[in-house]
Amino acid sequence: MTSVLLKGIEKRFGSVEVIRGVDLSIDEGEFVVFVGPSGCGKSTLLRLISGLEHISDGELKIGDRVVNEVQPSQRGVAMVFQSYALYPHLTVKENMGFGLKVRKVPAQERQRRVNEAAATLKLEPLLDRYPRELSGGQRQRVAIGRAIVGNPDVFLFDEPLSNLDAELRVHMRSEIAALHKRLSTTMIYVTHDQIEAMTLADKIVVLRDGRIEQVGSPRELYERPSNVFVAQFIGSPKMNILPAADAPLLCAGLAAPQSAETLGIRPEHLTVVEPRDGVLRGTVSLCEYTGAVTLLHVLLPDNRICLVLHDEGEVPAVGGEIGLSAEASNIHFFDGQAQAIRALPH
Amino acid sequence: MTDSIHITRRGGQKSRLTLKAREMMEAWLFVSPTVIGFIIFFLGPLLAVAYYSLTEWNLLTQQATFVGLANFENALLENPDFWHVVRNSVIFALGLVPLNMALALTLALALSRPFRGVVFFRTVFFAPVVTSAIAWAIVWKFMLQGEGGFINQVLALVGISGPNWLREPNWAMAAVIITRVIKMVGLNMILYIAALQAIPRDYEEAARLEGASRRQIFSMITWPLLAPATLVIMVITTIGSFKVFDHIYQMTGGGPENGTLVLAFYIYQQGFKFFNVGYASTLAMIMFAIVMVLTLVQVALRRKGME
Amino acid sequence: MSLRQTRILYRACWTIALLIAAIPFIFPFIWMVSAGFKSVTEIFGAPSLIPRVWRWENFVEVFTYQPFARQYFNSLYIAILVTGLTLVISSLAGYALARMRFAGAALLMLFLISALMVPEEVTIIPNFFLMRWFGLVDTHWPLILLPTFGPQGVMATFLMRQYFLALPKELEEAGKMDGLTRFGVWWKIALPMSRPALAAVAIITFLHSWNLFLEPLIFVSSLEMFTLPLALSNFNDSYGLPLWNLQLAATSLAVVPILIVYLIAQRQIIESFALSGVKG
Repeated sequence: MTSVLLKGIEKRFGSVEVIRGVDLSIDEGEFVVFVGPSGCGKSTLLRLISGLEHISDGELKIGDRVVNEVQPSQRGVAMVFQSYALYPHLTVKENMGFGLKVRKVPAQERQRRVNEAAATLKLEPLLDRYPRELSGGQRQRVAIGRAIVGNPDVFLFDEPLSNLDAELRVHMRSEIAALHKRLSTTMIYVTHDQIEAMTLADKIVVLRDGRIEQVGSPRELYERPSNVFVAQFIGSPKMNILPAADAPLLCAGLAAPQSAETLGIRPEHLTVVEPRDGVLRGTVSLCEYTGAVTLLHVLLPDNRICLVLHDEGEVPAVGGEIGLSAEASNIHFFDGQAQAIRALPH
Repeated sequence: MTDSIHITRRGGQKSRLTLKAREMMEAWLFVSPTVIGFIIFFLGPLLAVAYYSLTEWNLLTQQATFVGLANFENALLENPDFWHVVRNSVIFALGLVPLNMALALTLALALSRPFRGVVFFRTVFFAPVVTSAIAWAIVWKFMLQGEGGFINQVLALVGISGPNWLREPNWAMAAVIITRVIKMVGLNMILYIAALQAIPRDYEEAARLEGASRRQIFSMITWPLLAPATLVIMVITTIGSFKVFDHIYQMTGGGPENGTLVLAFYIYQQGFKFFNVGYASTLAMIMFAIVMVLTLVQVALRRKGME
Repeated sequence: MSLRQTRILYRACWTIALLIAAIPFIFPFIWMVSAGFKSVTEIFGAPSLIPRVWRWENFVEVFTYQPFARQYFNSLYIAILVTGLTLVISSLAGYALARMRFAGAALLMLFLISALMVPEEVTIIPNFFLMRWFGLVDTHWPLILLPTFGPQGVMATFLMRQYFLALPKELEEAGKMDGLTRFGVWWKIALPMSRPALAAVAIITFLHSWNLFLEPLIFVSSLEMFTLPLALSNFNDSYGLPLWNLQLAATSLAVVPILIVYLIAQRQIIESFALSGVKG
């Protein structure tokens, strides 16, 4: 079990800055997920840790060792690629044993470790097949198996589930979670899917434009986002951002802090009430019925759309006027720089 | 504290340089055979031929004497052979390129879609491409003999008295062009087939639904979409036509009356038969210039096409 | 006429036109073999495809008139050597140009592209003096070195580069993570996945060397050192008498084996040439 420490990591491709100074400490055995919109640098950061890209500036430590200059294969990391990267000219068994062979592990030992990993992942019947003869889920498993065989200190996953269909994705997600529980090895996982991030992570790192926006547990990010970006990125449907002046309308007696410019309220925290004076009022412009809940698009007087998750009671009619209210503890305030104002009057 | 961090950082940077430098060294190792060969057998000789072209160097002088642009003056202004050779080369290119490309495109259009026999026809039209030019020229030379040659025997059967193909300058040029086209057209046919197959069929199907005829589909859809391929094929074929040597060497030897003496053959003749090294190098430089101009024209046209 | 009938008629017309067009492509080969069995007088007698007298001895005389077996062997071993060398050198350089970042790469590409376009005729004169200086005239070295490092080799390099570029990069990265060196990645991962490109380079290079004429003509002078095309053209003018039937018999011996291989592997061979043309 090994910790990973990033200190002032920067990466430039020519004059383009992709990673702009990242400081992060990952504890032993932690499951860390890098998440962010495409182009935020999450994959690059993973590749810097793996050694597939050279670090432009800063220091990377895996365990007690500075590994900036260590070859990828010497860093004690294993990577599961998005496309699985299984060698097409080798069988499953050969694919899994390839790294050991390169490292000159004796054949017997190799055999033993491949079989062990195959047993863990239920791959035994597939060992003599070629990658082209496997389904997507099986390939995924072989890719993970290949990573396990090397007995790495740190696992790196680069969007490993994005090529699978929805059902398989949910299944593999739980397998990866189970794997982490059993091996308790440090794992770093890149995804653009926030559900994957929320379900798998001990710690989520939200990235934007090569910088860390926030680090925290899924619950922290959901309940205490440190800025508008994180607030809107985590949670689905995304958080409504309204003028801070609407605070007293949503929750009687609630005053916005002095510096607040906007407030954020999640669709699931809004309740539909009678459209009386003194509450936030709007017209229902669209109802999306999904079974358990209904998503209301509410047109506010200032022409903004506010999303509301409505889960009990009668669904308001389209075109009808409704009022909206919320509890004070669910309302987030942000200042002019879109940063959260922390001294909430709870 | 800050100091120690500073030191480790610097240490890190130093070894990072070695990682990067190592990759670079490896890369140069990978390309080194190519680079060394390139310098010895291409770049060096190219510079040398540029220098030779400025010298007087023949059997009499036995060594290179610098004479400036005298060879170029000789070629371009004084020596009537030179313009005769250029004229021959241009006629050869003007005859060969359009004929070759028109035939190649026609065959490609006929053979780009699968039908029974398509493999047979492709194989047949491409067969001369894999055959040695010398062998091809030998066979045609015999078939084109004036008296008793196969072509004339066949023509005689229908009452035509064929010319002595390879003994009359104009007929010889025509014969050389046509046999060369038959030899090489398969290659362009394949390139055109590849280009045709790269055009999505949706376009044609959409046009057909809108009522376009075959001819309209070709002139309004296929042909414009083939333009980039046509440009590349045209330049490759033109450059190829300027360097044709073995075919002419074997069929006519540049004759009759120098009627098929083209640039590549002229270089060989001057350099290796008459040992006019300086003059032959001048000719080589002129050939180099022609090829460069053609290449640049292609690049320029393609840029324009992309805009 | 129904639509179907029109279509059949249309197809039939095309097929007949193609059959007629095929004659000048196919007939020379048939005529060549047939004339190779004839006597000189019969070649220029009344046209016929089947020889009246089968002169098998033509094919024996081919070998006594010149050291034809030796020349055949020369062509074969030179072509094999050139092919092997080109495969190694072009796949190494092509890999570096496709995958590795190094200073000077862009400049090198530019230089190589220019070399691709320049005909051998331009540099043949200095190359002759270079080879004479090395003492390699009338050896096979020029016929091995010049095609390997000349435009043909550069073309192979670009073909390999193009193919490597299209390979999924992650496979090589996985190899790196597995502990392979650069060389190991090239040898164990990139090359095994590039068999189609390697085959294309091999086919084109072999045929180019096999059919090479200008270089043998200039660099080789003794009969034992001749390659096939040079040997074929040499049946022409000895004793002042053209040995036409011998020349055609020898040409048949040189061409027919290649044609047979071509007929067996026509698909692969034609595709190889199509690949090499895409370079532009």
